[in-house]
Amino acid sequence: MSSAKPILKTSIPSMHAASARQSNTSPPTSKPSSARRSPLKPKQKPSKPQTDPRHLAIALHHAHRIQAQKNAQDLILDRILELLTIPSSPSADPAAPSAEDAHKFKAALVPFQPADYDNLIQERNIEGLCGYGLCPHEHRQENSRGAFRITWGARGSGPRGRGREMNIVPKEQYEMWCSDECAERAMYIRVQLAAEPVWERRADDLRGEELLLLEEGRSGKGKSAMRDPTSVQEVLGQLDNLHMDTTPEPSAVADEISRLSVRDDARSRELAMERGDQNPALQGGRVNVNIQEKTNVGQVTAPEMRAGDERGGSIEGYMPNES
Amino acid sequence: MDDEFNYSADDAERETIRVWRTWRTVFEMLQDRGYEVTDEEVKIELDEFKSKYVGEKGYPSREKLKIQARPTEAMKAKYTPLPSPSNRDPQPDCGTIYIEFCPDDSGIGTKQVRTFNHTVDEGNFHTGVFITKTPISPSAVRLLSGIPGRICEHFQEQDLLVNITRHELVPKHVLLSPEEKGKLLQRYRLKESQLPRIQVSDPVARYLGLRRGQVVKIIRKSETAGRYASYRWVI
Repeated sequence: MSSAKPILKTSIPSMHAASARQSNTSPPTSKPSSARRSPLKPKQKPSKPQTDPRHLAIALHHAHRIQAQKNAQDLILDRILELLTIPSSPSADPAAPSAEDAHKFKAALVPFQPADYDNLIQERNIEGLCGYGLCPHEHRQENSRGAFRITWGARGSGPRGRGREMNIVPKEQYEMWCSDECAERAMYIRVQLAAEPVWERRADDLRGEELLLLEEGRSGKGKSAMRDPTSVQEVLGQLDNLHMDTTPEPSAVADEISRLSVRDDARSRELAMERGDQNPALQGGRVNVNIQEKTNVGQVTAPEMRAGDERGGSIEGYMPNES
Repeated sequence: MDDEFNYSADDAERETIRVWRTWRTVFEMLQDRGYEVTDEEVKIELDEFKSKYVGEKGYPSREKLKIQARPTEAMKAKYTPLPSPSNRDPQPDCGTIYIEFCPDDSGIGTKQVRTFNHTVDEGNFHTGVFITKTPISPSAVRLLSGIPGRICEHFQEQDLLVNITRHELVPKHVLLSPEEKGKLLQRYRLKESQLPRIQVSDPVARYLGLRRGQVVKIIRKSETAGRYASYRWVI
């Protein structure tokens, strides 16, 4: 990196120092390129410090991203408040919700992360409702003082198909729902939610966009292998195949590496897309990379043995004086 | 039967003492922040508190526990930003504070917070403080801090049982006015970002109701220097 380019400043004082120096020397009608002057010019007393357009653009870019995050969080909060009011009729059946409610529920959950969904469940419980969004019943209340509760499964659900399955459930988890069925339905939704926050999701990422209710999943509507919980083995098998197929040959790896280049515009655009950098100031990446090849390289020879090298006295060719 | 009665009476007494101590800390907090409160209010005795705020069953009635206080002139001066070319006559960024105790025992969510927000908005209070017995849900916290143009804070009763700033290991925190802050930065030739920092969620910062961008002076005893002052930028 040559001295004529701005150096990447990381610490806050040095950033201030850099921007102050550059803004002092740049004329009022500065273009982005004028900021790339030598920072070692004599200081002039400025009447008013000019902002570097490039710095301004980057600051604005980050400010917009933070604002987008805040907006998304507000939206999620609004959605939680909205979802407290469904189902619309108190006699709705959680197993067969009305099409309108189901649609509203699924549409509202799209920007949610699992943690937001947990907040929704908590809010519904505070309101006295079952944690599952489409259930109009009240959640269970335990009168006993115990912190845990034993639940028994259906007949024949125990080990090797005999007896009943036994579970020890913390009281808070037991009290979240009106019934075990509702707990299952709610958790079925939860595992489909995308783990990354909505502002970091990519436009082509469909995970968490198409939610399925438990009943829909059971009835086989939308029979994709990824979503059907019964076919975990199938998916695992596919994963194995995937690894086998995509393991590239060593020569292919070498090819791939040789094709990698820092100055690949298409790749840097793709990278910018992935990071969500839409700002033109960041189009070429965040850092200016300027590769300078040495032009006149002399004859290159392999190193030779010199006198004294065999004694191991030299340090990278330097011989210390023996006193 | 008699034992049971005693047990519940004990319980009510304990509860009353807890609320009384919280009440006193709240007034000390208002005084330290610079609101107009009288000494009698701050040093209220338990008997007087009982006669005023305890219901028939011996339990304190939290519905009655509501406070409004106006800022003093000194506090207004501290919260007035420096005049700038665009704003030659800046107004102080503080106003009447409203404090409410939530009567609900458990499960405090968006419903109670929405009522509180509504009260604050309707009374046109600058700041609201919501005091609950149990923790409130994450969405409720977000909702509480979401009113534009107003500041709403939340405390749990157990956070205010004792006044943490009166502890011997907690040094004195003094808020600097914008003028004093400017002088400090000029004296040391600093940008504010070069100061050490303190979080807004710091217990003392929460107690004093500090806001982002303010500078607080911390004065502690030093064995070698007698007193040592350091400054923190609130982030």
